[in-house]
Amino acid sequence: MATPPPTSAWERITAPLRSGPSAYSFLGLYAAVCSWLLLSNPRTGLRTDIVFVFFLLLMLFVFRARVARVFKIGLAVALLAIVLPLFGTLNPYYIDVATQAGIFVTLALGLNVVVGFAGLLDLGYVAFFAVGAYLWGIFSTSQITLINPAAMPVSPLLFYLFIPLGLLVGCLFGVLLGLPVLRLRGDYLAIVTLGFGEVIRVLANNLDKPVNITNGSQGIRDIARPPLFFASFARDTLGLKLNDNQLYQQFFYFLVLLIVLVVVVVVSRLKSSRIGRAWEAIREDETAAIAQGIPLVRMKLLAFAVGASFAGAMGVVFASKQLFINPPTFDLLRSINILSMVILGGMGSIPGVILGAVLVTLLDLQILPRISTVLREAQDAGFPIPETFDPTQYQRLLFGLLLILMMIFRPEGILPDQRHSEELHDDAPPPEAPAPAAAEPVAT
Amino acid sequence: MTLLDAKNITKSFGGLTAVNDVTLTIEPGRIVSVIGPNGAGKTTFFNILTGIYKPDQGTVMFDGKLIAGKRPDEIAALGMRRTFQNIRLFGNMTVLENVLIGMHTHLHAPFWQIIARTGGVRREEAKARERARERLRYVGLDDKREALAKNLPYGDQRRLEIARALAGEPKLILLDEPTAGMNPNETAEATQLIRRLRDELKLTVVLIEHDMRLVMAISERISVLDYGTKIAEGDAAVIRSNPRVIEAYLGKGAAGTAA
Amino acid sequence: MLWPVAQLLMFIVGAASILGLIVVILALLQIRSRPELIAQVLTILPQVIIDGLVRGFLFATIALGYTMVYGVLGFINFAHGELFMVGGVVGAYVGFFLSNAGLIDGINPFLFVLLVVLAGMTVSGLLAVTVERIAYRPLRNAPRLVPLISAIGVSLVLQDVARLFMTNFPASDPLGFNARYQTPDFGKPIKLFEMTLGERPVPIILSPKALIFITVAIIMLIGLNYLVNATRLGKAIRATAQDMPTASLMGINVNQIVSLTFLIGGALGGAAGALFGMNVGAVNPYMGLIPGLKAFTAAVLGGIGNITGAMVGGVVLGFLEAFVSSYLGLFTGGAISGAAYSDIVAFSILILILIFRPAGLLGEATTTKV
Repeated sequence: MATPPPTSAWERITAPLRSGPSAYSFLGLYAAVCSWLLLSNPRTGLRTDIVFVFFLLLMLFVFRARVARVFKIGLAVALLAIVLPLFGTLNPYYIDVATQAGIFVTLALGLNVVVGFAGLLDLGYVAFFAVGAYLWGIFSTSQITLINPAAMPVSPLLFYLFIPLGLLVGCLFGVLLGLPVLRLRGDYLAIVTLGFGEVIRVLANNLDKPVNITNGSQGIRDIARPPLFFASFARDTLGLKLNDNQLYQQFFYFLVLLIVLVVVVVVSRLKSSRIGRAWEAIREDETAAIAQGIPLVRMKLLAFAVGASFAGAMGVVFASKQLFINPPTFDLLRSINILSMVILGGMGSIPGVILGAVLVTLLDLQILPRISTVLREAQDAGFPIPETFDPTQYQRLLFGLLLILMMIFRPEGILPDQRHSEELHDDAPPPEAPAPAAAEPVAT
Repeated sequence: MTLLDAKNITKSFGGLTAVNDVTLTIEPGRIVSVIGPNGAGKTTFFNILTGIYKPDQGTVMFDGKLIAGKRPDEIAALGMRRTFQNIRLFGNMTVLENVLIGMHTHLHAPFWQIIARTGGVRREEAKARERARERLRYVGLDDKREALAKNLPYGDQRRLEIARALAGEPKLILLDEPTAGMNPNETAEATQLIRRLRDELKLTVVLIEHDMRLVMAISERISVLDYGTKIAEGDAAVIRSNPRVIEAYLGKGAAGTAA
Repeated sequence: MLWPVAQLLMFIVGAASILGLIVVILALLQIRSRPELIAQVLTILPQVIIDGLVRGFLFATIALGYTMVYGVLGFINFAHGELFMVGGVVGAYVGFFLSNAGLIDGINPFLFVLLVVLAGMTVSGLLAVTVERIAYRPLRNAPRLVPLISAIGVSLVLQDVARLFMTNFPASDPLGFNARYQTPDFGKPIKLFEMTLGERPVPIILSPKALIFITVAIIMLIGLNYLVNATRLGKAIRATAQDMPTASLMGINVNQIVSLTFLIGGALGGAAGALFGMNVGAVNPYMGLIPGLKAFTAAVLGGIGNITGAMVGGVVLGFLEAFVSSYLGLFTGGAISGAAYSDIVAFSILILILIFRPAGLLGEATTTKV
């Protein structure tokens, strides 16, 4: 994809850093300094927080720089597959943040297929995530015995089988939800999907009687993790002195990274295929799309199913990593959280959505808690700060403002998809399917 | 052996009868026009043929199959394509992509192959692009294939709509006011193109038009609608002298058009 | 003028009867295996109907606001549930300050109701107008998705702003997250009649607050209907709802009309919130979401854009919920708790309506000429 020539002052100033020989040295130096800073002083704290953020920013620069592909891939591998895991052995906090970011990158990419590619606003996306998580949670713990006394929890090894199983179950639920509702127009679809998300949460919260399926509000604990097949390799061959928990951290980190890579490849290929084109046509003008022979409902259903399957698969991984799941994890706020990732980064833009997901996860898991700590320390030091003001408790405010401001000022996101950007700034409303009567929620 | 056989089509909206017992039969390889004053029901009739509306009464047989009540995408897949009165291109997609969309029904690479990006998929895409460019060359837009559709001048947009419709390899193409807003030069070019569609590509063309010069010059048969009813049908000479037609609407340039 | 009220009565009576009949038949079918069921069913039936009525009017009053905005702008104000919540919070503050000033016990209950309703209406109405100006108007011409997302944002912001307020104001003794809504004494519950089936007579009661709730709701319906159908302003609103550009060409200041619509819709929601909080006795910043969703369902059920439809949809949904909530547990012998699952009722209704009759109960199933 051709990049437009630099136009803004910022772009002119930073041009030597983005391409040409100086870019290589810049990136190399940046990488070396960052890595050294992280590894030499891995203590959790404001300083490391900042270095970590710069580290992640570096990934963005590597992506955007116009340098040799080999160099980019090499640097990315070095940073993500060597430096970060190594840093993780020294400090479990940051690698956990990175893993969670990876999980939400996958979810955001899945939602992006639904919202960004096909243009369908799904406000209950987290339901598919929940389904996958509970799938593994139920089958791998004694929960299954509570449901059916003759059944035993499955062997933890089957975790690897359950990931594709979670994919299928997510897909199934996506189709089940999609079939009745995909004929509905934008606003109605949004509300209905929101309702569906709530229903799943209510079910999770209440299906502990008459038959205890989900263990209700107590959630499911002691979820199984697959055996550490590489434990001996890591400890004996590589000589790393790591306990089981640390090894599991590394395991989940690499697993999630792998899944993210696969998902990015799949989604990119879909986007540039006839399917991606059809989705874009549907998003632009349903009437014209259907006149070209594009089967509307089938294509929308496909988008829904693809998005849902990613969430289902990741649900399994999430449950195994967290060891404990309960209904509040999968509430409306979480769906909106994922939606914010897509919107912040750029609807329809794969790199944008990745950026959005990483930023929002950083915000949730690192930046807000850090601000909270800093404020508390300031309070103790005597600064007049209201007692009850804790940023981690005001996520609604934050994300609400984010959504409003983004929609007004930059609806196309931070790293927009080029086409989308033009679409969203068009002042003329796009032609709609022939159902302009205010009372009709059904598109043709 | 007719290609399209629409019998006794009736459609009402609320209390208003938009199309009233209209019958239209079209043999393959012809250029046929449907004319009438504004509000006569022509576009509604088109919409019924293409499946956007279901007729209250009547049947439509296309290429031997009954299609009334089928979805628009099913009918498009059967070989009936159209252009729209108000151009409906995919503005934010390139010219080439618009044509590729037209080809959607002929691309069959399965989902799994697309994800795996097999040789089969890559070949199909390459072939599709080549065929799309052929279509663009046919209407003279190949050199603009990477431009965004919404940035094209008006005349080019109309041609792109036709190229997109052609990409579907249709048997029948419905053109809804293809020369609306065009100057005489552009109209002449459009007329040429429509003739070529019939002569070179062996397409059957149905036209809704207001430009009487074009209609009289090019149509093998003309059907006239007024207030939803068909009031006359025949060749140019017959229609021109039909008092009901003249009374229904004074066609543009109808009086002075040469045969 | 009275036709809408008549329609409403028809649906109330109809829904209550049909549902009542259903549960009675279900109980009778089990007369052999569970003979005590029919008596139980009948005993609680009147109370369930009253419960349904109260719920129904709650949904209906909130739904009015949704339907007004949708009618004029074709836009679902996602944040409407929060306008309802704000009304409740404002009412709670009124009770709070009166209580602090020692006036709460002496004040005339009707005066109190008037106060909280007016306060709720004013604050929510003005808030709605402000929100429209800031978060919706700039996006009026954007693709549909965009203002919808903005509305979601507004909803979230309002929730937390309310929370910020409630937990910090007044600074010395804030209202608190789960705030009590203090009211004067409204007197004892009115005993409508007694039912004697089984051992003890069971009184069927209607609390005065609930009665006030229903009364005010009916007044609002009549008032709104009058406004929309019999005044010049109402005509301007209807014109704008039908065709905004043309209305503008006819000299109607559509921006003003839109603001006014939001004002009215917000005020109605605020009044509903103030009364609801009063009825329930407590408010919290997140209490708007679920009732908002259900009220939206009610609006769609009745026919979105149709004012009477909002009321009708509200009461029908209210009855359905009340019946499920009370009878599910009864019929399943306590195995499934109806209260928890009654939330799902609304959602299921929404899906069914949108699939089978998207125009709703009172809407017309028209195809519009394109």
